[in-house]
Formats: sequence, C-alpha cells, structure tokens
Amino acid sequence: MKKRKNILSMVLAVGLAMAFLTGCGGSIQKTADSTTLRVGVTNFADTLEPTENYFGWVVMRYGMGECLAKFDEKMNVQPWLAESWTISDDHMIWTFKIRDGVKFSNGDALTAEAVKASLERAFAKSKRAATFFKYNEIRAEGQSLIIKTEKPEPNMPGFLADPLFLIVDTAAEKDHNFAKEGPICTGPYVCKSFVKDKAVMIRNEYYWDGQVPYQLVEIPSIDDPNTRAMALQSGEIDMAVNIAAGDIGLFQNADKYHIDKISSLRTVLARINQNGVLGDPKVRAAFIAACDRKTYNEVLLKGTFIEGKAPVPPSMDYGFDQLKDPNSYNLERAKQLLAEAGWQDTDGDGILDKDGKPLSVDFVVYNSRAELPLYAEACQSDEKKIGIDVKIKAVDYNLIDKMGINGDYDLLISNITTANTGDPEIFLNWYWRTNKNGDNPQNGSGYSNPALDAKFAELSSEFDREKRRQLMIAIQQIIMDDGAAIFFGYPETNIVSSTAITGATMYPSDYYWVTSKIKPVR
Amino acid sequence: MPFFVGIGLCKDVFCIHKYLRLLMMKYLWIFYFKLKGMIFLKKNELLYRLAQMVITLFGVTLLTFGLTYVSPGDPVEMLLEVGDTIVPKEMIEATRHQLGLDQPFYLQYLRWLSGLAHGDMGLSYSAKMPVADRLLQGLPGTVALAGTSLIMMLLVAVPGGILSALYRNRFWDYLIRGFSFFGVSMPSFWVGLILLYVFGLKLGLCPIAGGVVTWDRMILPAATLAIAMGTKYTRQVRTAVLEELGQDYVVGARARGLPMRSILWRHVLPNACLPLITLLGLTIGWLLGGVAVIEMVFSWPGLGKMAVHAIEMRDYPLVEGFVLWVAVFYMGINLLVDCSYAYLNPHLRKGRTH
Repeated sequence: MKKRKNILSMVLAVGLAMAFLTGCGGSIQKTADSTTLRVGVTNFADTLEPTENYFGWVVMRYGMGECLAKFDEKMNVQPWLAESWTISDDHMIWTFKIRDGVKFSNGDALTAEAVKASLERAFAKSKRAATFFKYNEIRAEGQSLIIKTEKPEPNMPGFLADPLFLIVDTAAEKDHNFAKEGPICTGPYVCKSFVKDKAVMIRNEYYWDGQVPYQLVEIPSIDDPNTRAMALQSGEIDMAVNIAAGDIGLFQNADKYHIDKISSLRTVLARINQNGVLGDPKVRAAFIAACDRKTYNEVLLKGTFIEGKAPVPPSMDYGFDQLKDPNSYNLERAKQLLAEAGWQDTDGDGILDKDGKPLSVDFVVYNSRAELPLYAEACQSDEKKIGIDVKIKAVDYNLIDKMGINGDYDLLISNITTANTGDPEIFLNWYWRTNKNGDNPQNGSGYSNPALDAKFAELSSEFDREKRRQLMIAIQQIIMDDGAAIFFGYPETNIVSSTAITGATMYPSDYYWVTSKIKPVR
Repeated sequence: MPFFVGIGLCKDVFCIHKYLRLLMMKYLWIFYFKLKGMIFLKKNELLYRLAQMVITLFGVTLLTFGLTYVSPGDPVEMLLEVGDTIVPKEMIEATRHQLGLDQPFYLQYLRWLSGLAHGDMGLSYSAKMPVADRLLQGLPGTVALAGTSLIMMLLVAVPGGILSALYRNRFWDYLIRGFSFFGVSMPSFWVGLILLYVFGLKLGLCPIAGGVVTWDRMILPAATLAIAMGTKYTRQVRTAVLEELGQDYVVGARARGLPMRSILWRHVLPNACLPLITLLGLTIGWLLGGVAVIEMVFSWPGLGKMAVHAIEMRDYPLVEGFVLWVAVFYMGINLLVDCSYAYLNPHLRKGRTH
C-alpha cells in the first residue's frame, strides 16, 4: 500500500511537471518571421473609436488610420491622402486635392465626398475638433475638398494631420462597430481583434501605397519597461517602442538591434515670474547661467534627455542650431551679474542679500513626472554655489495650471508638448505673449516685451512657410535673450528593432509606429 | 486514512474511480444535509447579514466617491491632457458639463446610485465604454490568475506547513522556514522579473509578452503570486498545526495508542483548517480585486491594472464599479467563510448542543 502511494505520488508529480513544461513551451516563436510582425508598445486606448479621447493616436500608430497630411522626420507637413493643397488669396479657403486610386480597406474608393463625411463626423463627435479650426463650409467637388474657415488658418494641413482627423469610411459604420472592431480606414493594416492589452492587425488587401509587407501584425501592450526590454531580447517581439534609459545598453550590439532615437516634441522648462526678485534681468540671467544643464541631462538623467537651450526642441526645423543662448552655463559670469545687481553676502551665511533681504526664490514642481524634481534639485544645488537660496515646493500636478495663471511662483516647472500640429505658434504665444487684461491668461509671469508682441502679431497673419519659420526663430531668440524662462531639456523617444526587420523609424510626432515601410530583411 | 484503506479493499488499482465516486457521493450527501440544516437554522441571521452587506456597500461606495471627489485632480483635465497638448479653457468647461461633473457632489452620487438601481453602472470616462463591459474585460484574467495561484499556493503551503510542524526544530523545519523567510522578504514585482528573466529570457520556456489569457502566459504570474502568498501561508499552516498538536486531545489520542497518522488526518488537520479558512477568504477577496503590480510586470489583462489606471484618471464611474465589485466579492466570500465555520465546527452552530 505504501509503495503504491509513493508510485502514485511520483507519477502525479512527474505528470504535473510535464504539464507545466509543455504548457510553457508551446506557442513561443523565437525567430523572426517574414509573415508576422510583433511590436511591443504601451497602449492607453480602450477602444478604437478615433474621435473618443485620444484613441485616434492608437488607430494611427497601429497602422490603420491615415490623414490627409502627415509629419516627416523634421515635423514638416507632407502630403498623404491629399496629394496637394492650395489656399485662396484671402486666406479663407483651403482646397485639398484628394489622391486618386486610394481605397478603404473594404474596397470602397476614397472620394472627396467620403473625406468630407469623415471630417464632419469628427466635428460632430469630438469637441476637440473645433479647438483646431472652425469652418463655415466643407464642400466636395470631384476629387477636390474645399474648406472655408471662419478665420485665416495658416497651419490647416498641420491640423488635418492630427489623428483626430484620420479618414474613416462613414458609410461602413452602420454594419461595423468602429470602437470594437476598428474603423474602416485606408492604412496598410486592418484590425482583426483588439483589446487594450493586445491588438492583432491583418494586411489591408486594398492598400494604395505599395505592397504591404506582413500578413499579420501582433501588438501586445507591455506596460512594464523591464518586461518590454526582455521581450525584445528574447525575440518574442521584433520591435519595441520606448525602451527605458537603463535598458538601452542591452541593445548596443549593432548586429542584432537597431536603435532609432530622437528628441520628442516636448520641452522641460521653468517659467520665471518677473514680479518677484527675478524681475531684475541681471538676477534672472545669473540664475539661468548657473544651471549646468549639460550635466543634468547627460549625467543625472543618463542621456534620456537632450540638453536644453531654446523653447522649440531640435527635432523640429526651427533653427535650434543657429539660436544663441546668452545665458549658457558660466558660474563666474553669474556671480559677476549678481554683484552688479547689488547683491552681497553681508551676514556670511552663504546666501546673498540686499537691503537686509536674502536672495531666496520659490521653485514650484510637481512629481508625476520623475525628471522634474531631479531638475529642480540639481538647479537648487547649483544656485547655492552662487548664493541663491532655492526653496522647492512640490505640489500636485492639478494645481500647476492655476498657479501658473495666478503667478504664485518664482519658478514653475512644466513638461509640455510644443507643436503637435507641427507648428509651435500656439505654444510660444501661450507663455510669453503679453497678457493684457487677461487676454492671455497662461502668461501669469508678468513678462512683456513689445518687440516680441509685434513678432507674434506678424506671425498670426503670415502664411508663407519660410517667413513663418524665420519669425519663430526670431521669437525664440528674443525669449532667450530676455531670460524669460529656463529651458532644461528635451526628452528622447526611441524605437529599438531587431536587425531581422528594417524600416522601423521613430518620428518626432509619435503617431507613426507601424508603417508599411517596416519590412522583413530577406 | 480512509482513502487508502479503500484502495486496499478494492484490491485492484482500477477500482479507484469506483471508490472515489462512492466517496464523493457520500460526502456530497452529508454536505447537502448539513448545509440544509445550517441554512434552516440561520435563516434570520442570513437575512441580517445580507442587510448588513447592503448598508456596507452603500457606505463603501459613498466613501469612495467622496475620496475620489476631494482628492486633488480633475478628471476632465486628466482626460484632455493625455496628449500633453495645450487645451483651451472653454474645451475643459464644455467637457465638464458634458460629463455632468459641474454638478454638486451629492447630485453626482445620487445620479450614479439611481443608475445602479436601474442596473446601469455608467460610462467610463477614460475607456469610453460602459463600466460593466470594461469590468468584464478584466474579469477572466483576474479570476483565472486568482484561481491558479491559489491552487499552486495551497499545493506548496499545506504540505510544507504540515511537514514543518511535524519536524519542528529539525532539518525540514529549518529548511522550510528558511525558504519561507526568504520568500516573504522578496518584493513580488522583483520575483516576477527574476522569473521572467530565468524562465522567459534565459531558458525560453514561457512567453514574456502577455496581453491575453492563456495557460502558458499564466504560469509565471501565478507562480509569482504563489511564492508571495505561499511563504506566508506555510508559516500559518505550521503555527495552526503546532497549536493543535499541543492540545490535550492529541495527547489523549496518543495515550490510547492511535497511530500518529490517523490523529493528524482525522483530528488535527480539520481543526487546524479553521483559522486558515478565514485567511483564505481574505486572500481570495484580495486576489479578485486584481493584483496591479503582478499584472503590470507580466502585462496580464486583469482588474488591478485597470483600477490603478481608473484612479489615476479620476474616472469616478469606473472606480466606483470596481470598488463595488471588490466589496461584493469580499463580503460574499466572507459570508461563505462564516457559513463554512458552522459546517466545519459544530460548536459554532447556534441552537445546537454538542
């Protein structure tokens, strides 16, 4: 009896172990496959309805949706479903020529009429649409789409490149649930199944722009950065979007991995309040010159951020290299400036003072982004070297907006997107155009420069691309010369791919992950 | 050891299934009568408990609603600033109005409550789908993971704990206690990553990327949970068994010459079960609420990750729906646990003398 029991338990144990191992070993595919592409991402969208929240981003990232225009590697607007566009002389009417021969994934032709219906759908379903532009009329004439706007909109193609305006076949909506089954669009891939944690795409047989390389695209959402890196290492995925800084070293072997990294469209900056002690241009300049931004980004943040200098990040074509930072890191100059401004350490406590008041400022930060307190603390220790006392105030992210408007700070840190429509005008206006009687509430700093306002006025009615660019470069230079803010750095984003595939590229705009350019290496 | 005696009587291994069937029927039968008796006796008490549950649920949802409401953070801004874009004020106000978030607190809560009474848990702001649908999406993953990890944990912890108690302060005890000490001290996200590294990356036995509920993807997260819980439970089992072993009746039974095995299986273990079942009830409740950290590491589609996201986004309807689910299950399971006491320990049955 005892023996039998032992045998029985042994059989059970072995059986259990076998079951585990076979269960484990089953479906893992380790070698690159020329029919299936596997992409590790993080996904925030619960449905694929492009007009809900920001879910349109995911529809575009996964290779389903396309817009009339797209942003290239330098964030310039390029034709996509529209092959060209023109604007009338009074700047009120845009005419888009819709590309011939484009079909939706159900085989229906893309007509100007269909584009009109899709844009109207976006306006009807999303309140966000009207924040880009307002129109009086949209009309379809043959393959031409004519949009009459309420006021001149210089950046119209850039607006229409936003994923909110990706083109869907509204006629297909009655027997197809866009939210659950994915919208019918024109992109290289079509949704086969979708849940938040994993999406499966199949080839769009009607794709207009060349051969679609893969039969199947599997897109698991892997939220933990360590796990994402491991999945790429093990070969379970062919490419991963945003490998963490600490893990990027694992993929340095150029024979096996390709790393494509670029500064994103964000800027980490500290607004400077001019109503306080930092209203003195010399103190402000000294403060900025004391921040060793190179070390913050390259050492403290391990190179995950690029050293900051100007409002608009270098990934965009707005003259980053030609802009001159008058307040680049220079401790001696900073001390000199403070002395010129009349600040001295009379009581020997290491903090400068004037008229019996110590040189002390409040630096407001929020902690929901890990890099922000790091920047603030590094800045605090650097300022101490020149005798400025920085008090860090950590507040909840949700209070930041109000504090910014009310000017309850000396310095206020933000991590902000500068130009998701390819044009930084709104961003530049937002913080630095003079706030006359509350007409620009976001500028709560008291900063005002008539020369800058004149440039903004010129910009708002300028339609020529190159002239706009020159204006924005000039605007940035004025902001930098005035020491209106500290530009700490620009976060970097990346796509790491196995060398078994080619064409995986990170764009500054973060909308284009799965594209028909990604192909297996034969 | 009735089981193996039975096998002995059958004289043929192939008879096991017959014996098992008999045994099962016998126990089912007994269980049925006991349950019937118990429920009959505790009818009033059961009603009382159910009423208590409803009141608690009311309190829990109100509290959650209140806490989410007063915590700093604006669902509208969270929603609109996902893309980190510059959002105009009018847009924020319009969305606030659309979601009914410009109404006073009590109206918002009452609206939610009346929806619930009509069987409608509302629409999640962040997921843009009915809350019930979103919960149902996470449910299979959570239930499967909870069940598997619990079974794995019991398979390790119960024999381990008993062994440890029987060989108190001897080699096996030290070994098992050593292991459990080690296990308790390790944070589970770290254990998870190590398991992924070893079994996923180095040995290539299990898939790393999750996202869907399959057996092969479940083993590592379940094992991680089983390690975290099992090490704790081993100690609990050990303590419970030791406590029973020190009781007078054990000494009495030994004095009468009953074999140790029989004392252990028929007397000690059933008695040691009681405190463990309480714990188990709590653990099941905890597991069914989702285990966010584990789900994150293994990209497992469960309720925990969903809940964390819902809280981050201040998605009131989804948070409320989740809390409601957790509360109902917690209380339901504890009710079951309490009922099981009455079954397992006749002392606790009211109106019955033993």
